[in-house]
Amino acid sequence: MSHWMFNCKEVSRRVSESMDRNLPLYQRMLIWMHLLMCKYCTRFRRQVRILRDHCRSHRLDENSPDPDVTLSSDACGRIREALKSSSP
Amino acid sequence: MSQITEEISVAGPDLDPETWVDRYGDYLYRFAVSHIEDRSVAEDLVQETFLAALRGRKKFRGRSTVKTWLSAILKHKIVDYLRKKYREQVTTDTDTITETVDGFFHKNGSWKIRPGEWNLDPSKIYEQREFMDTLFKCLAELPDRQSKAFMLREMEGYSTKEICNALEVSPTNSWVMLYRARMFLRRCLELFWFNKTKEENS
Repeated sequence: MSHWMFNCKEVSRRVSESMDRNLPLYQRMLIWMHLLMCKYCTRFRRQVRILRDHCRSHRLDENSPDPDVTLSSDACGRIREALKSSSP
Repeated sequence: MSQITEEISVAGPDLDPETWVDRYGDYLYRFAVSHIEDRSVAEDLVQETFLAALRGRKKFRGRSTVKTWLSAILKHKIVDYLRKKYREQVTTDTDTITETVDGFFHKNGSWKIRPGEWNLDPSKIYEQREFMDTLFKCLAELPDRQSKAFMLREMEGYSTKEICNALEVSPTNSWVMLYRARMFLRRCLELFWFNKTKEENS
């Protein structure tokens, strides 16, 4: 592989960075060229995006299917008391 | 009228701690229970969440709803709890992931530990509570600041600038932290969620 091309380590780092900021055009071009040839880096990029999509679509309601799960009245009383005694 | 009371009246009853238990107690408790088996611990985490919110109430800028704000605090509490719990154990499953970022690659920069195939049904993955459970456990294995950076970025949608302010790091440092977190979490999920799912389906 030519020295002016990114290797997998560099591509993985920049793929991650591209999720947090806009990369310069030449870096995006080099990543794109590398991804055309490398199925593992393509996989890496897909998987970290899946991770992001999943985290962002995660809603508390989806994790709370059981409406019968509620705080006991004892717990509610204890928490209220703690809040009260910690209030300025 | 005191300054705090004034702020509350401006922000509405949502910022009045007296209403929190009734409004959000069950909601937060259900979320805690979905990740923590021990219900008394889940209750404690909800209480700690409310107390932390009470202490940080002045910093609440109305950027999100109070519900979202409390949820974010609870998520951090859960990861902190899991981190302590797993670190107390002598060995953990994720101890098998000892690779640093360098360890994932050969000296020439090519993959040594190649990303495996994730055979997933996109419509199904979002229904899987186990996925988030595994993710939380993997997050708990990360160094504290890396897991915080990841959660702020990917779960709360913070910008680089906001992460830098929250964690007092430079932009470059934040990108390195996020890169390390993503490398670790990708591998951790592959080993402990996707491989498990594959075994169950085979």
